[in-house]
Amino acid sequence: MKILLRRGIFYLITAWAAISLNFLLPRIMPGSPIDALIAKFRGRLSPQAIEAFRVLFGQKDTSLWQQYVDYWHSILTGQFGISYAYYPSPVTEVLGNSIGWTLVLISICTILGFLVGTGLGMLVGWKRGTWLDALIPVTNFISSIPYFWFAMVIVFVFAITLRWFPLSGGYSITTEIGFNADFLGSAVYYAILPAFTIVATAIGGWLIGMRNMMVTTLAEDFVRMAEAKGLPRRRVMFTYAARNAILPSFSGFAMSLGFVVGGSIVTEIVFNYPGIGSVLFKAAQAQDYPLMQALFLFITLAVLVANVLADIAYVFLDPRTREN
Amino acid sequence: MAITQAIIADTEESPTPSRASAFAWVRAIRSPGALIGMVIVGIFCVLAIIGPLIAPYDPSAVSAGGLRGPSADHWLGTTQTGQDILSQLLYGAQISMSVGLASAVVATLLSVIVGLTAGYLGGIGDEALSLLANVFLVLPTLPLTVILAAYLPKTGSLGIILVIAVTNWAWGARVLRAQTLSLRKRDFVEAARATGERTGGIILRDIFPNQIAVIAASFLGTVTLAILIQASLAFLGLTSVTEWSWGTILYWAQVSSALLVGAWWWFVPAGLAIALLGTGLSLVNFGIDEFINPRLRQAGLGTRRARRAAARRARMTRTGWRRRPRTAQRSTPVVDTILEIRDMRVEYVGQHDRTRAVDGVSLTLHRGEVLGIAGESGSGKSTLAYAITRLHKPPAEITGELIYTDAGGATTDVLKMSEDELRDFRWDELSIVFQSAMHALNPILPIGEQIDDVLRAHRPGMSKRDRDARIAELLGLVGIQKDRVRAYPHELSGGMRQRAMIAIGLALDPEVIVMDEPTTALDVVIQRQIVEQIMELKDRLGFAVIFITHDLSLLIELSDTIAVMYAGRVVEIAAAQDFYREPKHPYSAGLLGSFPTLSGPRRELTGIPGAPPDLRRLPTGCAFHPRCPLAFDACPKVDPVLVQITDPGQRAPREAACLLHGGVEAHADGLAEATR
Repeated sequence: MKILLRRGIFYLITAWAAISLNFLLPRIMPGSPIDALIAKFRGRLSPQAIEAFRVLFGQKDTSLWQQYVDYWHSILTGQFGISYAYYPSPVTEVLGNSIGWTLVLISICTILGFLVGTGLGMLVGWKRGTWLDALIPVTNFISSIPYFWFAMVIVFVFAITLRWFPLSGGYSITTEIGFNADFLGSAVYYAILPAFTIVATAIGGWLIGMRNMMVTTLAEDFVRMAEAKGLPRRRVMFTYAARNAILPSFSGFAMSLGFVVGGSIVTEIVFNYPGIGSVLFKAAQAQDYPLMQALFLFITLAVLVANVLADIAYVFLDPRTREN
Repeated sequence: MAITQAIIADTEESPTPSRASAFAWVRAIRSPGALIGMVIVGIFCVLAIIGPLIAPYDPSAVSAGGLRGPSADHWLGTTQTGQDILSQLLYGAQISMSVGLASAVVATLLSVIVGLTAGYLGGIGDEALSLLANVFLVLPTLPLTVILAAYLPKTGSLGIILVIAVTNWAWGARVLRAQTLSLRKRDFVEAARATGERTGGIILRDIFPNQIAVIAASFLGTVTLAILIQASLAFLGLTSVTEWSWGTILYWAQVSSALLVGAWWWFVPAGLAIALLGTGLSLVNFGIDEFINPRLRQAGLGTRRARRAAARRARMTRTGWRRRPRTAQRSTPVVDTILEIRDMRVEYVGQHDRTRAVDGVSLTLHRGEVLGIAGESGSGKSTLAYAITRLHKPPAEITGELIYTDAGGATTDVLKMSEDELRDFRWDELSIVFQSAMHALNPILPIGEQIDDVLRAHRPGMSKRDRDARIAELLGLVGIQKDRVRAYPHELSGGMRQRAMIAIGLALDPEVIVMDEPTTALDVVIQRQIVEQIMELKDRLGFAVIFITHDLSLLIELSDTIAVMYAGRVVEIAAAQDFYREPKHPYSAGLLGSFPTLSGPRRELTGIPGAPPDLRRLPTGCAFHPRCPLAFDACPKVDPVLVQITDPGQRAPREAACLLHGGVEAHADGLAEATR
């Protein structure tokens, strides 16, 4: 359990670093984003809104420490200012409308991609030296594909040419958002292509990682011993080889969440999916700094929470971490 | 060649890297996959360099023929405004690849500095730098990159390069730190430090060359990543949209709705180029990975033939072996012999050659007997243990016969058993106790569970209650308390783990237990306790033991018969007492002179000059002759065979393979074979 405590402290430090980075960036980068922003609004902003921006992005007349304290106050009370790209909606409202979509889509797809990729990797590693090794260059190719480009190809083939799936969006506009069968059905239908894209591109990396770990583990003495014991093949493959091989793969999973989430978010743009990826795209296009900052903070915190969950799961997987 | 060497080293003991082998990894890149990868990367590099020269059009030049598919004028078609896509692609290669390369150079530089320093410094400096790297690893790269890029004025690639480098150095630093940590504990670095070399000198000369393979792998990985990130940023419109890169092409395709109008030629080539280049880079990387991790290489091409042969044999043969009926257990055996090894050979099949690790070994094990096998590391004794248990994997090939005689007197060749027969045979009749319990016990299963799965596999009829009782009984036999059933291997002490191994080995009451250096990793006191326990259990339960060790004095105490191995062959075999009184082979005498006896008269310790021979380049004649104090002119010419020796007063017939015994003529067969 000591290890969980140590990890917890590490994540707190990481969260603090991310939030502070967010504070520092606009203040150390060349140019003054807030002036540019205010100029763009051309006086449409209320004095309170301008004040909120100044707290977030830097004002010249107070000390840096005072600015830092004010900034923390804003973060903790959820004041992220007004979105420029979605004017006059506050940033929190824009986030609130899009988070759910992304959370559901990406968490399911990331876990699915990990499970399928690791499962296949286990098989390919177990049957090393057979035709299955031919999968390696194929998966190398797939994992080198930019997510968003693969998304474009998928849309072109399945939505535009074959017309099997809808082109863009998260649900049919004829349904009403809510907990009803019509809406859920259409949400699932609209999510199939984006989900397939994310899972398919994510599989490759897991497959190769797990395959290599599996091959390494198969040379361990305890796997030899399991064979010498005359155990059934399944038992040797799952409980002895795969159960141990998955440990490094699993900590890799936690580590790469940040990257996978980033890649998945960009695919949303191609599908015009109503999640935070599309919001990020719009924010970047419009140089909407308040929205971008809030998005960065939110994504970082979500990834940290996912990491904590992965760490807790790891403690259950590896008895050696349970030592006191 | 290198492959075989690595595998042999792997089964006997792990290789120690030397300064000379520091750059050996360059050779590893010659694998076919890596070659293909390098060709792909090479082509892209050439295209990037000459791209602007061979591009048929100015990539930004607008023409009347918008949105045309591929044609003779425009091989890859045109954009909405009639720009030539092939030209954009060729120009784009330059930006995409140089940004990728430059970001990777900067990122790798950062990770080398941080990783090597952290790993070498240790202490607080290491803690701080590791924390920094871990924070950067956990932060989601893309949103961070987006933010950083958005704040930068759109000046061009330089900013993007810095942003990508700053967000992507952490992984490499982490890997390098771990590598440095393990390397700095190695002998040659310690030696450099002891001779008073300066810290900087040690890092540069001794640690750095060993790291190059790791650095190269992390560098190529970062190039791929950087090209992907640059494409993502360009696709998001965060780079200068008038500077052509592959990502910019995709950006314009996306904002001009190329998808909706079905202009596939617009976006397909750019993405394909990224993916192809990435594949090329990861193929090269895979080659480097295989070098860093020799186990991956074993699974490679060279083993395929051997694996197929093994599969064929497994399908075809069926020996008709039946599990012995449980009631007939040890009821007055008809035959005294239980296991007979006949002319056993183990060869490692390389791509061009075969290395013989065990060469024509014949031994007989009697019921209830302890057969000791001694030899230096590299003599083939552990390879023999794996052969007896049929645990060798391709590229190792076993030939010969391994005849098992059951209580009823029926004989079976274990090497010819089918997979299913072998599974039934294993552990029930013959179990093995491995060298290091630390590595041979499954770290994620409690020890009780590791006995339980044997019982479940071999005694399907046994109830849970009976199995639990049996587990408690077995642990009791080796002196482990019942409440440790649920303990994981890491929760036990070294001695306890080894006892647990023995308990697992006894689970099915086998006829034969192979013990491969079961006490080597333990301290002398624990060694003694465990050996005594093994002997006591042997007397009580009546199993036969093949005991393998380099510790000859231990062997003399506990064995009935001793076989000494050198360079894959048995060079002497005798009753333990006869052997102790007078070893007949000079090598045996040398081995005996290398160890103090635990009991018995004092004698002078002498040792054997020189090192064990390289199995791939054995000396002609007697393999031991270069190290032999008694060698004479015939020794390099005649390959000695085992000959019977009779001495007055000896307890049992004995044999030795040495020209000093039986006269050179007795070894005449070996003369023809001298050039094996």
